[in-house]
Amino acid sequence: MSFLEYIIQQLINGLTIGAVYALIALGYTMVYGIIELINFAHGEIYMIGAYIGIITLGVLSAQGLTQSSLALAMGIVLVVSMVYCAAYGFTMERIAYRPLRQAPRLSPLITALGMSIFLQNYVMLTQGARDKFFPPLFTGGINIDEVRISYIQVFIMGISVLLMIALQLFIKNTRLGKAMRATAQDKKMASLVGINIDRVISITFIIGSSLAAVAGIMVGMYYGLVNFYIGYVAGLKAFTAAVLGGIGNIAGAMLGGFLLGLLEAFAAGFIPPPHGAQYKDVFAFTILVLVLIFRPSGLLGEQVAEKI
Amino acid sequence: MRKFLFLVLMATLIPGLMAANAYPAEETIKLGLAGPLTGDQGAFGEQLKNGGTIAMEEWNEKGGVLGKKIEIIWGDDQHDPKQAVAVANKFVNEGVVGVIGHFNSSCSIPASTVYTKVPIPQITPASTNPQFTERGLRNVFRVCGRDDQQGAVAADFIVNTLKKTRVAVFHDKTTYGQGLADETVKGLKKLGVEPVFYTGIVQGDKDYTAVLTAAKQKNPEVLYFGGIHPEAILLAKQSKDLGLNTIFVSGDGVFIQEFIDGAGPAAEGAYISFTPDQEKIPEAQPFIKKFRQKFPQAKEVGAYTIYSYVATNILLEAIKGTNSTDGNKLIDYIHKTKFNTALGPIQFDEKGDVLESPYVFWQVKNGKFVQVQELKK
Repeated sequence: MSFLEYIIQQLINGLTIGAVYALIALGYTMVYGIIELINFAHGEIYMIGAYIGIITLGVLSAQGLTQSSLALAMGIVLVVSMVYCAAYGFTMERIAYRPLRQAPRLSPLITALGMSIFLQNYVMLTQGARDKFFPPLFTGGINIDEVRISYIQVFIMGISVLLMIALQLFIKNTRLGKAMRATAQDKKMASLVGINIDRVISITFIIGSSLAAVAGIMVGMYYGLVNFYIGYVAGLKAFTAAVLGGIGNIAGAMLGGFLLGLLEAFAAGFIPPPHGAQYKDVFAFTILVLVLIFRPSGLLGEQVAEKI
Repeated sequence: MRKFLFLVLMATLIPGLMAANAYPAEETIKLGLAGPLTGDQGAFGEQLKNGGTIAMEEWNEKGGVLGKKIEIIWGDDQHDPKQAVAVANKFVNEGVVGVIGHFNSSCSIPASTVYTKVPIPQITPASTNPQFTERGLRNVFRVCGRDDQQGAVAADFIVNTLKKTRVAVFHDKTTYGQGLADETVKGLKKLGVEPVFYTGIVQGDKDYTAVLTAAKQKNPEVLYFGGIHPEAILLAKQSKDLGLNTIFVSGDGVFIQEFIDGAGPAAEGAYISFTPDQEKIPEAQPFIKKFRQKFPQAKEVGAYTIYSYVATNILLEAIKGTNSTDGNKLIDYIHKTKFNTALGPIQFDEKGDVLESPYVFWQVKNGKFVQVQELKK
């Protein structure tokens, strides 16, 4: 493998995981943009999404649908999981955050941590503590000389980019998107001009949770296994990505996600062994610290006037 | 003021409730069994639990020991060294007379410093790191082998049986994983083979594609991994996804059906070192039969179930033999007695290691582990 091919291979590795970080980071950043809450339970929604995916896939493959029409089965799995997680996000906001809307900012933050612990243990008790395995559906890949892209990587990057474009269009061009932007700018003013703030916040949670569900399924299929605490690490990484890009900023979350994925891949690939794989997180977080020193509001935090 | 009164009332009620629970109906002999009962290594924890349960039930059916029933207190260390010490302290506080566990060397070693102060005997069914018994502690025993033995067997197998010399070595930075990887590297160097790639990975990470891509640059023929099955699954799968043409070789931490189920086709052909087939040990047959009766839905007995069963039996036999629950007496008894166990006769040396602990290689064939090497005498 030539040096150039090596770089391209690492680029693919990094972009795949980066796409997933970006999808989860969007949920963090949208919620923060609107109600200035860091929803620590967001990683758990991602984990639940993966579980729903595995359960739905199990049912569908028992019906023989995964063998006859993989695309249809994948579509059903994605939709079911998105709907389910949207319901989770919606309910979570209703019972855990809405009653605390007027409370000091620390209260909903602690509630979010509590929610995260609750959901983790709930899934552990109902689904068991052991790993669950995704059936391998996408095997094989494309070889370009020595560079290899597996089909699942193509799938992950494709779906993520599609969803991100759709989200951008939604926020830029629809009435609801406009209402979201208005709410992010000034909640009180927005309610004075007739925007239903509670509804906008609910929708934000629903969108963020559905995106997390997609990320959960894709990661579940990519790595092949799911357990009840994958949400913790993924949530932490995605939160980092959101901060790196400028929390509250949608383009920032995407940029931050991809950047973090690439940083990790290149740190693991270019710092000579045995240190590379061990210190990739150190490297990624050092970059985060440096960015925050020079740009405290993140990479895209200041340049865009609107927060969402 | 009313709130304050309420709090005072609550504060007086709670100790009352706890006192009500402090007197159990019947006095028991307590043993502690610790391992990763939940979490990603929970499958191994379950094996320990099953083995201990069967031993406890057998003894209780015969009337227990010293005229009392036996009770096992479960400790979940979640393969976290800090948690292991907390579990150890809990065991000591609850007055257990002996400990079966822990599973991971990184847990057994810190926990042993707690047990040795009392002292209570600790028999691990699975911790293979040499350090466990090399620190001059009298109360530690293991019924499994040691990584210096396992590493030497692995190095010999790679060089002399597989005839491969380009080896990439991965480990999970734990006491067990890195220990085993380093012993294997030592063995390889003795045979004149220098690993082409050597790295630690972070346990709990999910993405190893970047470091595997770096390893691919060195064109390895064998990927040796010191660690436990959750990471082994990911390494085996992702190395195949990246088009690495390597033979996956690993140790006893990967010897579990979960590895095959999780890695799917990527596990096929992998070589894993473990002790010879338990089905062929005559003494093990009653236990295996009993396990199948008790857990008819279980696919396999599990690699460490019998080790946990044997460790529990040794502790109980020591209590019976000394007619005592005194830690020092039990430890002396275990050191000097030859036990007839389900794994055959077991005798410990002065460090607490078993005198004989053989390792052979198994291969994954059609979704099953098959022993492919006979014991070298």
